[in-house]
Amino acid sequence: MQQSPPALPARRPDWLGAGIVGLALAGLALLGVNIILNMQATGVTPGYGFLAQTAGFDLSESLIPYSSGDSYARVIVAGLLNTVVLALASLLLATIIGVLMGLVSVTPSPAGRWVAILYVELFRNLPKILVLLVLYVITVRGLPPVRQALSWGPLHLSNRSLYLPAIEADPRQLWLLAPFLLSILAAWWWVRRARRIQRATGRETPVVLVAATLILAGQLGFAALAEVPLVVSVPTFVRFDFDGGARVSVQFLVVLVTLGLYHGAQIAEVVRGGILAVPTGQVEAARALGLAPWTVTRFVVLPQVLRIVIPPMINQYVNLIKNTSIAIAVGYSDLMSVSGTIINQTFRPLEMMLITMALYLGLCLGASSLMNRLNIGLRNRSARNVS
Amino acid sequence: MIPAAPPPPQRRDLLRQWAGTPLTALVSAVSAALAIWAIWIVLDWAVLSASPPQRPMHACAETAGACWRFYVEKSRFMLFGTYPYQDHWRPGLASMLLLALSGVVGLRITGRLDRITPRVLVALWIATIPAAFLLMGGGWAGLDRVDMSRWNGLPVLLILSVIAIALAFPLGVTLAVLRHQDRWPVLRRAAVVYIETMRGVPMVTVLFVGVFVLPLTLPPGTRISPVMATLVALILFHASYFAEDVRGGLQSLPEAQTEAAKALGLTWSQTMGLVLLPQALSRSLPALVNSVIGAYKDTSLVVVLGIHDLTSTARMAFSEPGWGQYALEAYAFVGIWFLLSCAFLSWIGRELHKGQSARSH
Repeated sequence: MQQSPPALPARRPDWLGAGIVGLALAGLALLGVNIILNMQATGVTPGYGFLAQTAGFDLSESLIPYSSGDSYARVIVAGLLNTVVLALASLLLATIIGVLMGLVSVTPSPAGRWVAILYVELFRNLPKILVLLVLYVITVRGLPPVRQALSWGPLHLSNRSLYLPAIEADPRQLWLLAPFLLSILAAWWWVRRARRIQRATGRETPVVLVAATLILAGQLGFAALAEVPLVVSVPTFVRFDFDGGARVSVQFLVVLVTLGLYHGAQIAEVVRGGILAVPTGQVEAARALGLAPWTVTRFVVLPQVLRIVIPPMINQYVNLIKNTSIAIAVGYSDLMSVSGTIINQTFRPLEMMLITMALYLGLCLGASSLMNRLNIGLRNRSARNVS
Repeated sequence: MIPAAPPPPQRRDLLRQWAGTPLTALVSAVSAALAIWAIWIVLDWAVLSASPPQRPMHACAETAGACWRFYVEKSRFMLFGTYPYQDHWRPGLASMLLLALSGVVGLRITGRLDRITPRVLVALWIATIPAAFLLMGGGWAGLDRVDMSRWNGLPVLLILSVIAIALAFPLGVTLAVLRHQDRWPVLRRAAVVYIETMRGVPMVTVLFVGVFVLPLTLPPGTRISPVMATLVALILFHASYFAEDVRGGLQSLPEAQTEAAKALGLTWSQTMGLVLLPQALSRSLPALVNSVIGAYKDTSLVVVLGIHDLTSTARMAFSEPGWGQYALEAYAFVGIWFLLSCAFLSWIGRELHKGQSARSH
């Protein structure tokens, strides 16, 4: 007769672990007491009351209206927004450079491969802060002052800012949200319809073109019909400085280019690895079946490359978000340099570093969980399409 | 008999490589133009329109290219900063010691210098780290005391990279083991929280905590120099990255290893120390080398805290009034240093990959 297996020994509670962790926490508490004592010795009581005080320093740029009379809390929000903008822009630039160089590094052309390898090796073996400082010195010393700014049509570049045309902000532009949402809905319906037709008949209907036209035409048509003001403002030189349009500081541009080049090199390696990982037999088999070169790339190579490349790309993007903090070295008002200034002014390093680290942690965890969820969604969908 | 020589590569093949399709031809043309342009710029700057080192400094004012005399005048300042001039041999010797030891460890990892056992290496580390500090600090055997605020340049870079990495490694292995085991769940959870927090924040924030918050946590009246505070912060930060690399090695081991060790009657610590960790460490070496390269390069971020490592002394060298136009010369010095040292580290990484793929085939 078969016997049931002996019962597993009951899990003993982890007294040792609890003890060690408890000791460590007690040690941390002791350090915390020291902090309070040290702060009281200088006449400061720990707490977050200072966030409501007037900051009194200016920012190089800000997305929300900000003046030096605003509170510390508002400065922190402005810095966080600057970090997010910098991260998004560098992410885009790094992806473009990385994918391009990754593709060049697998072309048959020896010159192309050589240039790609040189680029990747150069930026993988130099510290990003050194790249940033070199670019900063070159731009600040090499570019002319505002008076003699370099101009390409409506674009002007001086050693302080890049001036470019922009659409003047107007509260009535909020009305454009309505046709925007409507056209997104319409585009979504069109995509579903195209997929249904393809599944039923195998016939392909244009998707990207129609969706883009729907969204663009919806906006512009509504703007023309409802007379929403869309005035393009062009920067013009008035006496001492440019007026009108939008301006981007040189600091932002330098950090953007540094992060784009630095992470571009890493992304190029990821892309290269992903492409080389697709067995040549797959491509040869597809060609033997008579598929056109473009079709081979689109339906055989690309899906496999994406599968391999996306997880390390997510990793790269999170690293990039963290690396935006090097902006403090050139004085772009991102979260880190704002909190550095606040620490110097108020001497509350503990409170400020807790806020800053929590914000960065939230940003990184949020971004990585969002991208991982997108990746899983993409994977499930492609699995469903295959079966 | 002499075998027939292989036929030379066909000209048509060469043409196909360079310009098989219009796109390939375009890539070739653009890349070649880019490469020639970059080579020309570097050559022109460094040689053709440069001012050679024997010409005096004021001759540089008229040249558009590099001023080689700058290196004659400023190399020692960039290497050792404001350390007392007559005692420059001390930071020099300390740097040599740290570099030599790192080189030996690197060669040992790639399978050379087999005669040096790991035990000897650990002993060398334990001897060298205090030796570097004693040599730099002085105050014994007739050496003058030199305050840490005057430690500058290369030795600071090496202390903050080599010593930080060496001390972060054991902490990282401990964290990896704690996160991998399931005997003490509370400890595992604590390790997870620590590692994920450290990996979720930028290094600059950890450095700020080290320099601004750490001194506050000491009992009133005690002081810690910024270099030491940064060193502590870097050790705590790098350890979390090393921990993830080693954990990757531990996870890649088959479960049978643990079971076999248990069946032989080994205790938990014997299983970990004699069976699992040695294999996990050798498997995680390539990832560790990558992390070490990253940690070494990122050390130069201490510039933002006003700590004078090599990048920072280079900046000081051209910040004095009248030297401002030699910024590129100063940064080129730092760049060449990093390119050379990282090339050595990458070479170790490639050797490891070669060794691993040779073993697995």
